[in-house]
Amino acid sequence: MATAFTPYSYIQCPCSDITPTDRRSGGSPTTPEPDDDDRAFDPRAPRSSFSLYPLEYLMYCEDCHQIRCPRCVAEEIVTYYCPNCLFECPVCVGPLAVTSVETKPDPNLLAAPDNSAAPLAGPYALTCSYCLWTSTEVGIQFDKPNGIHAQLAKLRNGGTTRLTAKERKERRKDPSYKAQPPPPDSQDLDHEAQFANLKAFYQGQLADPNTADAGLALLGDLGFSSPTSLSRIMSIYTGGSLLHDKKAKTRLGAMREALDPDEGLLVASLDESAAISKLRSEGLDGTASTAQLVGQPPNMVEPPLHGNERFLDTLRPVPHLLRTKRSKRCPVCRHIISKPESKVQTTRFRIRLVAGSYIPSISIRQLALSSGTGSGTSASGPAVPGAPLEPLKPAHFLLTFKNPIFETIKVTLGAPATTPGRFASRVTVLCPEFEVDANTDVWDEALKNNAERDRELRRRRGESVSANSGGISSANQLEVGKIWERGRNWVSIVVEVVPASLALAPGNPPLREDEDVLEIPMFVRVEWEAEMAGDEVGAAPSRSNSEAREKRELAYWCVLGVGRIRQR
Amino acid sequence: MSTSSTSSAPLPHRSVANIRTPSGAGQSGPSTPLRNISSSFSSPSSLRADDEIIIIEFGTRKLQVGFSGDAAPRGTIWFGPDQLRRAGDFRDWQLGYRYDWRSAAAGGSWARDYELWRYDVRSVDLGLVGDKVERALRDAFTKYMLIDSRPRRMVWVLPSSLPIPLLSAALDSVFTRFQPPTVSLLSSPLALAVGAGVRSALVVDLGWSETVVTSIYEYREVAAKRSIRGGRMLVEQTHNLLAKHLPQSAEGDADSQEHVLSFEECSDITSRLVWCKPHPTTGQEEEDAATRSATVRIPLTSWLSPTTLELPFDDLSEPCETAFFDTQYTLTSFDDDELPLHLLVYRSLLQLPLDVRATCMSRIIFTGGCSAVLGLRKRILDELSHLIQQRGWDPVRGKAVEKLLTNPKLQRPPAAARRSHNNPETAPPAQENVGEERDGVWHDHDHSAAPAASYMEPEPDPIEEQLKRGSGSGSGSGSDQRTSVRGELRVIESVGAWSGASLATHLKTMAVATIDREVWLQHGATGASKPSEVDHKVQRQSLGPGGLMRGSAAGGAWTLGVWGSV
Ligand SMILES: [Zn+2]
Ligand SMILES: [Zn+2]
Ligand SMILES: [Zn+2]
Ligand SMILES: [Zn+2]
Repeated sequence: MATAFTPYSYIQCPCSDITPTDRRSGGSPTTPEPDDDDRAFDPRAPRSSFSLYPLEYLMYCEDCHQIRCPRCVAEEIVTYYCPNCLFECPVCVGPLAVTSVETKPDPNLLAAPDNSAAPLAGPYALTCSYCLWTSTEVGIQFDKPNGIHAQLAKLRNGGTTRLTAKERKERRKDPSYKAQPPPPDSQDLDHEAQFANLKAFYQGQLADPNTADAGLALLGDLGFSSPTSLSRIMSIYTGGSLLHDKKAKTRLGAMREALDPDEGLLVASLDESAAISKLRSEGLDGTASTAQLVGQPPNMVEPPLHGNERFLDTLRPVPHLLRTKRSKRCPVCRHIISKPESKVQTTRFRIRLVAGSYIPSISIRQLALSSGTGSGTSASGPAVPGAPLEPLKPAHFLLTFKNPIFETIKVTLGAPATTPGRFASRVTVLCPEFEVDANTDVWDEALKNNAERDRELRRRRGESVSANSGGISSANQLEVGKIWERGRNWVSIVVEVVPASLALAPGNPPLREDEDVLEIPMFVRVEWEAEMAGDEVGAAPSRSNSEAREKRELAYWCVLGVGRIRQR
Repeated sequence: MSTSSTSSAPLPHRSVANIRTPSGAGQSGPSTPLRNISSSFSSPSSLRADDEIIIIEFGTRKLQVGFSGDAAPRGTIWFGPDQLRRAGDFRDWQLGYRYDWRSAAAGGSWARDYELWRYDVRSVDLGLVGDKVERALRDAFTKYMLIDSRPRRMVWVLPSSLPIPLLSAALDSVFTRFQPPTVSLLSSPLALAVGAGVRSALVVDLGWSETVVTSIYEYREVAAKRSIRGGRMLVEQTHNLLAKHLPQSAEGDADSQEHVLSFEECSDITSRLVWCKPHPTTGQEEEDAATRSATVRIPLTSWLSPTTLELPFDDLSEPCETAFFDTQYTLTSFDDDELPLHLLVYRSLLQLPLDVRATCMSRIIFTGGCSAVLGLRKRILDELSHLIQQRGWDPVRGKAVEKLLTNPKLQRPPAAARRSHNNPETAPPAQENVGEERDGVWHDHDHSAAPAASYMEPEPDPIEEQLKRGSGSGSGSGSDQRTSVRGELRVIESVGAWSGASLATHLKTMAVATIDREVWLQHGATGASKPSEVDHKVQRQSLGPGGLMRGSAAGGAWTLGVWGSV
């Protein structure tokens, strides 16, 4: 990988911990037992991909004081909207425009944005301005420039018209049609028609007056029902006793089989020699790619295609999917935690409780050290960002925890001594326990006496006031138990890692994608005190101490990607 | 755009038809592209969306999801490596990013990342299966179904050969994450029969993991036979064909590396170009030299360096020959779980009682991804009728027959006895019986075995009798003259398992196995059917009548339908 590595952090939503055994309870998270590795969170496990989120993806419930991820919110739809209201190109996914077939589509003209004016005369086609695909390539053109969806539903590729399900239904009711023999060409039975015919046939069978007593109502009871009849259903379904169950027998007796296309019976035609010849002559270029086929909605207008859908001339314009705007509720307390403006044009939210406003963010930066390792070494400036990590050579990373809330938080970190997986890098959190000051606003800050603040800072750092006052840089020592640097509402600490060697014994499978990335699983516990029964935490910084305070705690796993280990 | 003109106008968006009007009354259509209906959602969202039943068809490589009553699913979610990524990982969209398939393949997952599960549950992370199902459904619900999180009843359409731990893992995940009040299970062969308008059928599922031939009689699965020949094997064979034509020198030690091309590329080429040759005695059009020598250019990007192969078109039928027919071997040389497809279908019919066979053979339904291989369905049917011509319905066959007939000591023990120890997961009971049929009468050799339903005297068909009596057959007035076809080979089309399930659910006709959420969470999670406690060896329970009986004989309050009990 030539590209520089950007450090990252992911958070595991606590909801992924479905097993009742709570890995949080008991034991100090700051010192995970070495033999406890199997219980420690392994970010490399395939399942981890499903529970890890960047902080920006997470929400927060103020009432439950819990992180909420996309998997553990209840969604409600605020608005449906259409991003485009037309069709996508089946070849390149570009938008399709209605153009006149007569005036040959001029690529320059199509690309021009002012070509949106309606084309002059019919017939019309859908044309892609990116790849120049046009619906005439699949034999589809339209009489009118509007109502394309309705016209398309009546057209097969190649231009033959079909009856929609509704038209078939009306024709079925028509006495003049009923007198005629059923259509001899069963191949006319496209998917939608076969489905509709079957449905009508079954409905007719079930509504037969001869079997009315054992008709629809009873069957309805069988299909979906209360648990009380569950065992009955089971015995019918699993007992192989359909034929011995009197009721079932009568019910089934009500149904005969479909006997002709009009009832939905469609005899297959197996001769595909024409399609094979076509494949032989057109080769790969005549076929659609897997991606193009995946983009196609189910084809309702053709009889079963059985492999013919591979040909480019069976592709159809793809109607745009509707989208939704959704509000999100906490599934436990039902409070709304996110609600967008219903107007489609705006991307604003009325309510949006993002987790980033409640839990500390973690940013990661590598430190370059002048010499040596361990305590006492001083910094010589930042390392080359994104450079590969040297195996077996200690590297130091600065983790900066920024506190978004208006209370001082106490942060406790726990990380396994070695990273899980095939390559065990050693990890040492130099300062696993520290406090981060509240996110008081700048105005508050300015009111404070600078000197007093200075003194307070030193006190918190555990430094004596008389110690050297030469400025913050002198505190930058790699010292166990000491923070690296502190700001208004942030604290930096140092993590030392000794990257593992990526050398593999012969016979071992090679590195998987991203297996060279050094990822540190880290358990984060955040504790703070907040006003009780505060309607809105964080609405204003608390000033009155008279109110009762309650202890709050949030704990979760996260994973820190610090760099790639150099491969040899 | 405005589409209000015709009332029969199909809805302009493929996802909107049933959003508000689930019972198919959506004639009005959306009059404007933007529909703010937030007011109708102001009710507490804990209410069930009672009117909407979601139908989900599970396949090994995809999920199809939609609403009951619809003719087709709203959307299909395919499984792939991109679904295994963390949220916010957009590398698949980055310019120049290429999935590192080689390292994945070296780890043994060349094709695996494109599958939801493998039937050999010993190698499956069941929790991961649950996660994958959850993520796929979430995508489908948001992208194609446009539904909120209210609990909805579900109908699952599943292959009846699905091992219980996989089903259990999926149920665990969905009941926990989506809270459907009930999940009803419908076997896909049954749904296919409903979707074809028949009560009996021989369903030939040319699937991804395996090919399964299921005999349905009177809406009941009476027998199933499977062969490991399926889509996965076909793509492997395509890979081998392409690899054979790559320059060996550049690849270096070609033997040491198992896969030299990515699964994605091989799968793509398989579905686009691989075809099936006709049966030698039929339909061999005399081709001129030009068509014979037709070649196909295949650009390959996943090889060490991009290259273009030029293959004879005929070579592209090789993967199909090897994967499905293996004609260079004699038919007696195959194990039961690797039968060539025509033999599999033949034996499936052979094991059926005369009456059932006559009905099923005229209701053959091909389904599954490989039924899209051009020429394959006809080839199987031609091979099958060839076999029937050659052998009739005499089950005793092969070069060992004479020895067997003359020396009873050489007679192999019944299949059941042979495999009961090492491989109990295959072999439906029905095929274990060695029966034969003479003069149109079925003789059961194995009298000790419990009478399996498929060998019982065929009951008089109440429906046929009803029809014979002419006692009103419902809709058509002229239907009395029509009789159902039996005893001749005939292939019919089904609207598909998903659509069949949609019909069955919508019309409330089928008895399906319904699982209540509360019951599942109480017993499914802690009872014997908890995935981790399941003895994996007994997971591939047969579909034969014995298997079905076992389910009800367990005495429990409920089971998992044809998926058996544990
Ligand atoms: Zn969550
Ligand atoms: Zn629209
Ligand atoms: Zn295009
Ligand atoms: Zn809450």
